Amino acid sequence: MSATQRNPETFQTSVQRPPDFDAFWQAILDDVNQIPLNPSIEHVPMRSTDEVDVYEIHYDTLDGLRIAGWYCVPKASYLPPPYPGLLIVPGYVSEPTLPKSWAKQGYAAIGVAPRGKLRSNDRYNPGYPGLLVHNIVDPHTYAYRGFYVDACRAVDFALSRPEIDHSRIGVHGSSQGGALTITTAALRSDVITCGAAGAPYLCGFMDSASLTHSYPYEEINEYLRLYPEQEELVRETLEYFDGINFAPMIKAPMLVYIGLEDDVCPPETGYNVYNAMSCQKTLHTAENCAHDAGAFWEMAHIESFLAEHLNPANPAQRADTTVG
Amino acid sequence: MNQKPNDFTQFWETVDRELEQVPARPELTEIPMRSTQFCTVYWVKLTSIGPYRIGGYLSVPNGDGPHPAIMQTPKYGSVNHVPDYNDRQRYLMFTLMHRGQRLVDQPWQASYPGLLTTGVADPETYVYRSIVADCLRGAEFLQSRPEVDPDRLAVVGDDLALITAARRPEFSHAHAAGLMFYRLMEHCERSSAYPVEEVNDYLRANPSETERVADTLSYVDPVFHAPGVRAKSLVSVGDDGAVGGPEWLEPLIQAIGGPVEQYRVTHRGGTDNDWIDAWMARQLGTEPMSKFRRSVA
Repeated sequence: MSATQRNPETFQTSVQRPPDFDAFWQAILDDVNQIPLNPSIEHVPMRSTDEVDVYEIHYDTLDGLRIAGWYCVPKASYLPPPYPGLLIVPGYVSEPTLPKSWAKQGYAAIGVAPRGKLRSNDRYNPGYPGLLVHNIVDPHTYAYRGFYVDACRAVDFALSRPEIDHSRIGVHGSSQGGALTITTAALRSDVITCGAAGAPYLCGFMDSASLTHSYPYEEINEYLRLYPEQEELVRETLEYFDGINFAPMIKAPMLVYIGLEDDVCPPETGYNVYNAMSCQKTLHTAENCAHDAGAFWEMAHIESFLAEHLNPANPAQRADTTVG
Repeated sequence: MNQKPNDFTQFWETVDRELEQVPARPELTEIPMRSTQFCTVYWVKLTSIGPYRIGGYLSVPNGDGPHPAIMQTPKYGSVNHVPDYNDRQRYLMFTLMHRGQRLVDQPWQASYPGLLTTGVADPETYVYRSIVADCLRGAEFLQSRPEVDPDRLAVVGDDLALITAARRPEFSHAHAAGLMFYRLMEHCERSSAYPVEEVNDYLRANPSETERVADTLSYVDPVFHAPGVRAKSLVSVGDDGAVGGPEWLEPLIQAIGGPVEQYRVTHRGGTDNDWIDAWMARQLGTEPMSKFRRSVA
């Protein structure tokens, strides 16, 4: 087979949308909506500053799991409430950091730690590598079924907070955080005001695995080398979790930014998920950039985009660079 | 700038002696899922000081050695990836997990945030005394492998790579980027980003400990280890005037004992990855390979 030059912009995805995609996810949301959130919030004096209070939070989710997170809120003496809410969703291998810099801008910011992340992994811990292919032959038990829901439950946590303006809740992250930005904006399209997704992962899973040997997608290649007979079941499962299939559900304005030499999340799939969005949307592409997706320059655009839609009180402060 | 502690040499020689007294007792288990037609991947367990059982991924190219080899020191964070696919085609790769990271988090799990200040009030209790020992144990293991070409043996990573190259100078090459411990107390004054903010958090809660923390951190500041580096080194350099920029790094560059090259990062990951990959390939006698495939079958 001869090699051809890549043209990410014109790449046609192989992803199909299962006919029961919406029903599949509605059933999961119906299940989780029966589970009381049971939010808890504990002040962490050591991480708090004159401007920002830091809390460790927990809430209940699918499968009887309790999920952890960080909640960073401007002190009323620094900026009075109400605050726009902002979910900062994590990358694949990174642990959620404390979104204090976003709180300094005036957001009530939640750093989400879905199942398997430290502090949310005492009963579910497929590990890294491992998460991407955990129960990958069954959509009803696949790792990301609960993982996506855990991120959505952080929206419910935000809605439980009286200091948050419930009409201004955004979501942002890069890599897996970019994927969670898309899935959360889709599954909670009734709430999410805007989303900024960098280098979105979990879009075009099988296409990605064919375009790169970089981890985490290489986990799929490794799995299929060992279990080639499972390919159809793997493909079938992944289509229920593909960001490209969630994209049309998004109603809020979205910013997507990608690196055109991203070996981790191929730019082809960034274009594909962006093209699948029917909401108000903006795409930024960064030449010669890899999985950084041009974050060195892009952070200013992300801050402006979020500020335009969420209107924090002190947008002149600078946020820490988002890592995937 | 930090002051070099008076007992700096003695401090680290004590760590070396502790390592000498603890046999590594390597244990290699093949991981078929990670192995390919061109390499065999093992999970390696080793004993470090404590004693504590640490681990890492060892990828050995199939075919006759000795092979050029690269050790990746652990990153700051809970997870270190399996060695890169392209790297595994060209090099014998060893990626170490230090104590507390995933896969070696029994009996102790590192906290994020939190690791950077664990035991920081005293250099004897500071967790990075042990983490450096873990890296040195990993280096000793790699250097003992018969499949490794000792003339083409590199260590790559952050401060831990430079410290490892200094204290186990059998490495022929080194690449350091994203230094965390270098001038860390000064860095803290200029940043509130994690993980550096962990130190600020600690000092806000324990303001009387500033001098003790500065003293502890000076034991792991690579500038004081740098004269021991004999490897040909590449240091990634950031922007003018920034932390990590040329002025900031100048004292370190000057202190490194071996020949040093500098690479000015462009912040464009594709460009930076390719340049650094090509540099290492030239040094170790292999072919450059971009992680981003520009053509596909």
